[in-house]
Amino acid sequence: MLLIPCPLCGKRSESEFIHGGPVGADRPDPNAVSDAEWVDYLTVAPNPLGPVQEKWWHARGCGEWLTIWRDTRTHDIVEAPDGIK
Amino acid sequence: MSYDVTFQRRGLDALFDLKGRAGAIRGWAGDTLPQLPDRPNTRSSGGEVEVYYVGCDHWLARAPLDQEEMLEAQLQPATCPVEISIVRVSDTLSFFRVTGPDAPEVMAIACPLDLHEAAFAVDAVTYTEMFGLKALVLRCTGGFEFAVEQSFGDMVEDYLTRATV
Ligand SMILES: [Zn+2]
Repeated sequence: MLLIPCPLCGKRSESEFIHGGPVGADRPDPNAVSDAEWVDYLTVAPNPLGPVQEKWWHARGCGEWLTIWRDTRTHDIVEAPDGIK
Repeated sequence: MSYDVTFQRRGLDALFDLKGRAGAIRGWAGDTLPQLPDRPNTRSSGGEVEVYYVGCDHWLARAPLDQEEMLEAQLQPATCPVEISIVRVSDTLSFFRVTGPDAPEVMAIACPLDLHEAAFAVDAVTYTEMFGLKALVLRCTGGFEFAVEQSFGDMVEDYLTRATV
């Protein structure tokens, strides 16, 4: 089980949250990228072996959306990798 | 296993859902409400009216049911400024009280929160889970009080009966 840090409520049980999927890339300008890059943006979700940034909704808590970094190898919540906010 | 505990399903209270910046709500509500709590997941009270800080820019005001009309008249939900929202939600929650020496044990069956006083102080109030349902949890004299969406009231009463037998 994860204890997920909510900015408003502090650490709470994973069961209070709903997973919102990985944080994807920023939306590119569709006129400035190739068709392949656009399809990539639309359909390919980040799925790394290692730290992934994820959205979680504190649905059975305060209602806030938040992001965390989770290491897919250990299931631990981790710091953002170097150089990434 | 049985527990030394009493639970009670409570009647309705006057409840108002308040959303918006604290300053804007204070400016509109004036003396109708007590001072809004400044720490999330805590409560304040003044007279018989309590205010719970339950989310970002989100509060619940609670008072005895006989004050509902008076609060509605003073808070004027229909004409409040656009930057705040006030909605009467008195009939949306079913409140339960779990009291007695084993109240913490029964709460621990249903709730993932650490409800020891060091982690969940006397003035604490928060949305969390009870029996897997979104629930508002707070302390009361001799134990704990919680509220679930009113349509789950009968089911939760049944859960509590089974958990405490
Ligand atoms: Zn929260």
